[in-house]
Amino acid sequence: MEREVLFRIRRFDGEHAYWQDFQFKARKGMTVLEGLYHIKESIDGSLSFRASCRMGVCGSCAVKVNGRPRLACETQIFDIGDTLEIEPLDNMSVLRDLVVDMDGFFRKHEAVKPYLIRGGDNYGNPKELMQTPKELHAYYDFSLCIKCGACYSVCPASATRSDYLGPAAMTAAYRFCADSRDEGKDERLRLVSGSEGVWRCHFNAECSEVCPKNIEPAKAVQKMKLMSAIRIIKSIFR
Amino acid sequence: MIMEVIKHDIVIIGAGLAGLRAAIASAEKSRDVSIAIIAKTYPIRCHSVCAEGGTAAVLREDEGDNFDLHAWDTIKGSDFLADQDAVEFFVREIPKEILRLDNWGCPWSRREDGKIAQRAFGGMSFNRTVFAADRTGFHEVHTLYERCLMYPNITRYDEYFVTNIFIEDNSIKGISAINLRNGEMTFFNAKAVILATGGAGRLYGFTTYSHQVTGDGLAIAYRAGVALKDMEFVQFHPTGLIPSGILMTEACRSEGGYLRNRDGERFMKRYAPEKMELAPRDVVSRAMWTEIIEGRGIDGPYGSYIALDLTHLGEEKINERLPLIREAARKFSGIDPVDEPIPVKPVAHYTMGGLHTNMFTETTVKGLYAAGEVSAVSIHGANRLGSNSTAECLVFGRVAGEKAVEYVQGKSFAEITKEERLAEEKRVFDEFLGRSGDENPYEIKKALNEVMDRYFWIFRNGDEMKEGIKRIQELKRKYENIEISDKSRGFNTQLIHAMEIGFMLDLAEVVAFGAYAREESRGAHYRLDYPKRDDERWLKHTLAHFTPKGPKLDYIPVTITKWQPVERKY
Amino acid sequence: MEGISGWFSLRGKSVNSIAYSFHRLTGLVLLLYLIIHLSFLTSLRIGEEAYTAFISTTVRPETLPLDSLLFLATFYHAFNGLRVVLNEFGLVYELRKALAYIMALLALAFWVYSTYVMYVFVMG
Repeated sequence: MEREVLFRIRRFDGEHAYWQDFQFKARKGMTVLEGLYHIKESIDGSLSFRASCRMGVCGSCAVKVNGRPRLACETQIFDIGDTLEIEPLDNMSVLRDLVVDMDGFFRKHEAVKPYLIRGGDNYGNPKELMQTPKELHAYYDFSLCIKCGACYSVCPASATRSDYLGPAAMTAAYRFCADSRDEGKDERLRLVSGSEGVWRCHFNAECSEVCPKNIEPAKAVQKMKLMSAIRIIKSIFR
Repeated sequence: MIMEVIKHDIVIIGAGLAGLRAAIASAEKSRDVSIAIIAKTYPIRCHSVCAEGGTAAVLREDEGDNFDLHAWDTIKGSDFLADQDAVEFFVREIPKEILRLDNWGCPWSRREDGKIAQRAFGGMSFNRTVFAADRTGFHEVHTLYERCLMYPNITRYDEYFVTNIFIEDNSIKGISAINLRNGEMTFFNAKAVILATGGAGRLYGFTTYSHQVTGDGLAIAYRAGVALKDMEFVQFHPTGLIPSGILMTEACRSEGGYLRNRDGERFMKRYAPEKMELAPRDVVSRAMWTEIIEGRGIDGPYGSYIALDLTHLGEEKINERLPLIREAARKFSGIDPVDEPIPVKPVAHYTMGGLHTNMFTETTVKGLYAAGEVSAVSIHGANRLGSNSTAECLVFGRVAGEKAVEYVQGKSFAEITKEERLAEEKRVFDEFLGRSGDENPYEIKKALNEVMDRYFWIFRNGDEMKEGIKRIQELKRKYENIEISDKSRGFNTQLIHAMEIGFMLDLAEVVAFGAYAREESRGAHYRLDYPKRDDERWLKHTLAHFTPKGPKLDYIPVTITKWQPVERKY
Repeated sequence: MEGISGWFSLRGKSVNSIAYSFHRLTGLVLLLYLIIHLSFLTSLRIGEEAYTAFISTTVRPETLPLDSLLFLATFYHAFNGLRVVLNEFGLVYELRKALAYIMALLALAFWVYSTYVMYVFVMG
């Protein structure tokens, strides 16, 4: 099955932003990413976009399709329709066409200390740490974040405040706080409890709607809020 | 023309498993060396995240596993082309890597008693493959990436595309890279360089590889004089999803999946009666391909295929052990493995060959190291066992990182002269980007993929390979005449792709020459005109050196310690 | 103010983020009302005639629809606010869409009833 489809893509050459239309024949099962590659390889070689794994694990190809962030590699053209408006993600400055500046996004992730904090490990002679399947399950789903930026793109708090940590960073913080092997919960809670942290989230919850891995960042942030509130209250009584 | 020169003691190219592990190893060994990680994508976009099945390690010696057994499995799996001293070293190092990853937060799947779980894998005589659901590579990469953030002496340069390395008096002095963001050429002065740029799978059309795996490091080092070893050995993984080529991990079979032909038969009993679906990958791929060409494949809209049947495993087991597989099968081929068998076909998956290194990751150039898939130590010989590649990246990533720190002690920077910098700028921007021509580089890539898929696939023969070599050389000539229509600088991905296609053409020639010259069948290299293994004449590694006329082939012996080659039956 | 323009685009959004936008819009309406209301009340400083003149403008049949809209804004903001309190403590996350609809329906119900009572009271 083949059909004519129209890709209306938001281009940016460093100075001017404009829409450009591309028409081509798509077949059933073709993904948006395959469509973009087809345009680049056969119609206009200057179209720039990020892509790598084409199987939804690397997080490179997140773009807005008809207003909603999706992974281009996982989105079937025929599922959307005959006309697709493709734009770069929001809340990050556009470098070129569909490529956005993700440096800020990654710096925010780094700011929450997204690594296991432990005291007594021996690098030269490491020991196995015990963790039951139940303990693994408590945080595992949140460890699936591919850092695609879709949640960050739809977050209204990220849209209004450039220093807001964002759903992905705080989900990472929760993933480590909930890991039974971690010893850095207090340290991390302190980092996310400021005015640019969990308390700027007001449960818009669109992040959970668009996450391609169904990680539920909104849930992680609210759980962090509870942890943070308990910590603050406890510290008053200490 | 700014031509920045940045100085770092150790420069690591490639931010996948091996590159990140090398950076951590260097930083752990010394707080004082400055380490740079340079990669053409953000680290977590690397191809290593696609690895699914697991990492093999001898963790339970008290339960019956031992190092010699793992070494034997690996050496037999390699069809005796692996260097046995390196393998013996390798198997003893992996268990500590698994435990370090555990300490650093990797979400290993667990047994009921809380210990790290292990599962069966092809060619392994003990269930020693450690796994994190079926996204092992993903979790390992993220764990290493997050760990890297802890070291102040690691600096990352994300989205820099390396174009060349600079060598003087057979010592490495630095590299050149395009900063994708603004299109400027940046030069890095280094005392040691670690190449961890991965394999070259995008030579093929039907492949599990990400778009970015184009053999950059392999080609650049090859052109600079480093030998490529055993490039003719390309692994074809039995189960690639149709039509995308997305990997259906070996774990599908190790958790109990079956392979069936059009008669519903578990045909593996005719090819590997003992191990069945868990025979090594080259055996299974050949079996599947034979079934297809002999007409016992199942017909589909994309040609003949084999059915990977997981329906008898049950939804719970699939959701627990193979969640990514279920998601990928549904999303990319519309099949739910709980209800229907998955359509699969053998797919290009791993490059056993690579830059010639010793077991300390040293190349013949002083200060230049190579670790991971880009290197051929050789651990995997003519065929790699599943779950040994992620292990190789971890072990040799660490070795490279530590060796580099030792090497740079007391060394000083050698200058990349202004002439050299201007020459590289001119080569890339004036001569390459600026030229006009008739050919579309993407057409050349498509044609290259077709040639490789047709003439250098699972079953090869001399006449076809000769034709294939002619076609590759024709494409190389056409490549001299390409035009890159996008002349802009900022984030010019067409320029990058065109350079990658140039790299792949060089590597295709090496694969082709090596395959044509090797007159035997061993591991993944199978010739219909020479179907037997020939230890007398061919128990040796192929070395390819760059010459302007094409690769010049030499041979070096295989290191044998304990295990003499025997017939390889499963 | 670029980010705030996002409140006004409802394309492709889920019920929770539409509720988020409405919460802010009703909040602004209530803020505006509060300012007007307080300025009317403080006119008492000037004198009883001024105060009576201001207040009489608010109880005419023509201004009742504005009052009704005020009820809508108030009830929506109150019920939605309860929902926000529950959600931000991490409660009722899985059923958050149902909760958003229920609160909106409750607000509508209260609004209809209160408008009816108001018209009966004022018009007789």
